[in-house]
Amino acid sequence: MIDPATKTDAVMDLLIVDGRVAERRAPEKGRGAAPAGGRVLEATGHWVCPGLVDMHVHLREPGQEHKESIESGTRAAAAGGFTSVACMPNTDPWNDGLSVTEYIVAEARRRGVVNVFPIGCVSKGGLGAELAEIGDMVRSGAVAVSDDGRPVGNSYLLRMALEYAKIFGIPLIDHCEDRNLSASGVMHEGFVSTVLGLKGIPAASEEVAVATDLAVAAMSGGRLHVAHLSTRGSLEKIRRARADGVAVTCEATPHHLVLTDQSVADSHYDPNMKMNPPLRSEEDRQALLQGLRDGTIDAIASDHAPHHADEKLVEFDEAPFGIIGLETTVPLVLDRCVRKEGLAPARFVELLAQNPARILGINKGTLAVGADADVTIIDPDLGRTVDVSQFKSKARNSPFHGWRLRGWPVATVVAGRVVHELLPVATR
Amino acid sequence: MIEGTRLQTAGRKAAAGGSRPARRPAPDRRPAAAPAPEPVEAEAPASEPAPRLLALKHKHLLGMEGLTADEIALILDTARSFAEVSTRSIKKVPTLRGRTIVNFFMEPSTRTRSSFEIAEKRLSADTLNFSPSQSSVVKGESLLDTARNLEAMAPDMIVIRHKASGAPHFLARHCRSNIINAGDGWHEHPTQALLDAFTIREKKGRLQGLRVAIVGDLMHSRVLRSNIFLLKTMGADVVVCGPPTLIPVELSRLGVGVTFRVDEAVEGADVVMMLRIQTERQKGGAFPSTREYYNLFGLTAERARRARPDVIIMHPGPMNRGVEIDSAVADGPYSVILEQVTNGVAVRMAVLYLLAGGTLGELAD
Repeated sequence: MIDPATKTDAVMDLLIVDGRVAERRAPEKGRGAAPAGGRVLEATGHWVCPGLVDMHVHLREPGQEHKESIESGTRAAAAGGFTSVACMPNTDPWNDGLSVTEYIVAEARRRGVVNVFPIGCVSKGGLGAELAEIGDMVRSGAVAVSDDGRPVGNSYLLRMALEYAKIFGIPLIDHCEDRNLSASGVMHEGFVSTVLGLKGIPAASEEVAVATDLAVAAMSGGRLHVAHLSTRGSLEKIRRARADGVAVTCEATPHHLVLTDQSVADSHYDPNMKMNPPLRSEEDRQALLQGLRDGTIDAIASDHAPHHADEKLVEFDEAPFGIIGLETTVPLVLDRCVRKEGLAPARFVELLAQNPARILGINKGTLAVGADADVTIIDPDLGRTVDVSQFKSKARNSPFHGWRLRGWPVATVVAGRVVHELLPVATR
Repeated sequence: MIEGTRLQTAGRKAAAGGSRPARRPAPDRRPAAAPAPEPVEAEAPASEPAPRLLALKHKHLLGMEGLTADEIALILDTARSFAEVSTRSIKKVPTLRGRTIVNFFMEPSTRTRSSFEIAEKRLSADTLNFSPSQSSVVKGESLLDTARNLEAMAPDMIVIRHKASGAPHFLARHCRSNIINAGDGWHEHPTQALLDAFTIREKKGRLQGLRVAIVGDLMHSRVLRSNIFLLKTMGADVVVCGPPTLIPVELSRLGVGVTFRVDEAVEGADVVMMLRIQTERQKGGAFPSTREYYNLFGLTAERARRARPDVIIMHPGPMNRGVEIDSAVADGPYSVILEQVTNGVAVRMAVLYLLAGGTLGELAD
């Protein structure tokens, strides 16, 4: 059992009763004696972790169910080892008020297989002009606010939102990008974009926005969370601001930890290498890995962005940004960061469970007695090949198809209910 | 008919000096030496080496990047053979008889498209011209669907011009035909670079060691990128020049000198290649006015005098007279701009022929 919240890294039995952690104890002889009618998951040799939390996904419902739905997206989450997801508000209509938030919560209860925490809009319609009715959304279940793909570019609005969000203690999640600098760029600006003849999105377009946001957060005192941070410069700014006492957290995606702009060239303009922020340079990637180790990066989030196959089967310039990640995040991080870069297993759990739960202020991310019995069981040695045709997600836009990865989630338990089992780990 | 269709290649002695294609190694090639840590660049030969290749191993021509010096020399030598065809009264050979070639032009083009079409006709191929205004593209059909429908008619080759960089690679992934890139976005325009190289070689006898200045909108130029790859591979010395707002980042990593002083670029040049300035770019804020652009970067006769006395002036077209180039230079004695167009046909015939599996050996026989 690996549960950094309780400083646990030991071989233990875990007893779940009525959806909660009832008891944890060192294994004894005669273990496995579950209460009558109970069930035993035999996880010897595996990691038993608090249920993983993906704090940045797009479930596309309501409005874009041809890409994904709450049902299919949460099935993908379960298959990927996530017991909770926080979904961004760029649905159609945008989640900028009580009715959409309530719909998401209700639909998740009806058809979702993992916990769904809606993120509401900062501004009405995500248009960056007036504050949305944040109080209403929080009352209906929203755990954070964000205008998602649209940066809160108006610093005054950002200040108002950060200050206003203090009433609810929720974070403001910003996609940091100066759209003037990005212009109509489609990939990281650097040598590779020059050779490929693709319009670049400079690192500075993120860093300018991070700098602005940090200055505003320092003044307003609200809680800022920087989504999918991708450059060395952004990371340095966060590190410095945090040292100055600014309440800022940040996340990185697995694709920015694993791929670089060179992947666009190597794949001959594969639209599944197109996302925003774009795949950055190797130097940026190395800085992110360092940020994982030294704690500057708080969370890993997939930025799961499903698109219909037809939408991605076009010229690179024409393709929409984004790739799916719910079903590849855990194996990618285990294989590339834990196994190859020596990231500690406890740090893995912090990045994927404990910290995102803390940032969102949700009662998840630990296996302490009394906590919700959300559990992810991982086989760190299991080797499998990513096969998009087997995905539970409706979408297939992953650049990782065919990758051989070691370390996979083998069971996902939500409130004591097994929602995904890869291997027959169950006995009896 | 018979004589009109037979390729005559005798007497096409190039700078290589009686370059009958043969398997012998180039005279100055180092013997296969003891294990070296890295492949050593062959020492610069004084002239173009005899072609060591007779056939092109590639299925597609997507760009100049990655083509070897031998492959480039093969295409240029083959083009030499085909240039003669266009001087005959019956300008046709049966080489590609029965083959179907689609000219899939999704962007306006005069020169490239007519040049490909003439090249195809002189090789006796059946051609189909396909452009957006007369196709389902205006009805919103995707590139993939359009391409699949074209493929359903079983063409042998598709020549594609498209505004998106990488569109030919996209087609290559989804189609069985040979794909020839006739210009994709800002990325590459390989046959333009080949015809430029052919023209330079005709005039200078070589590419190796020449100083080539390329001036203009570097950012948005596919001609630039293809020319850099080709010229650097062939051992030319390349300096590029344009306003900093139109220079893509880290361009110098391609091994070229980069300056925004046009006098510096032109100084001592054997070849000055001007790139078109698209007036749309002015709206993008890259420069304040075409007038100021001309003052700072336009090639005038006075500026051209800084080049070598036997300089040649090139332009891929279409020209903006009085913007990037003065008419006195464009129409002057050093200009080879129309020869470029003439040579385009021979070069494209060579590319089509080689991609169809033709060999230089067959031609020489």
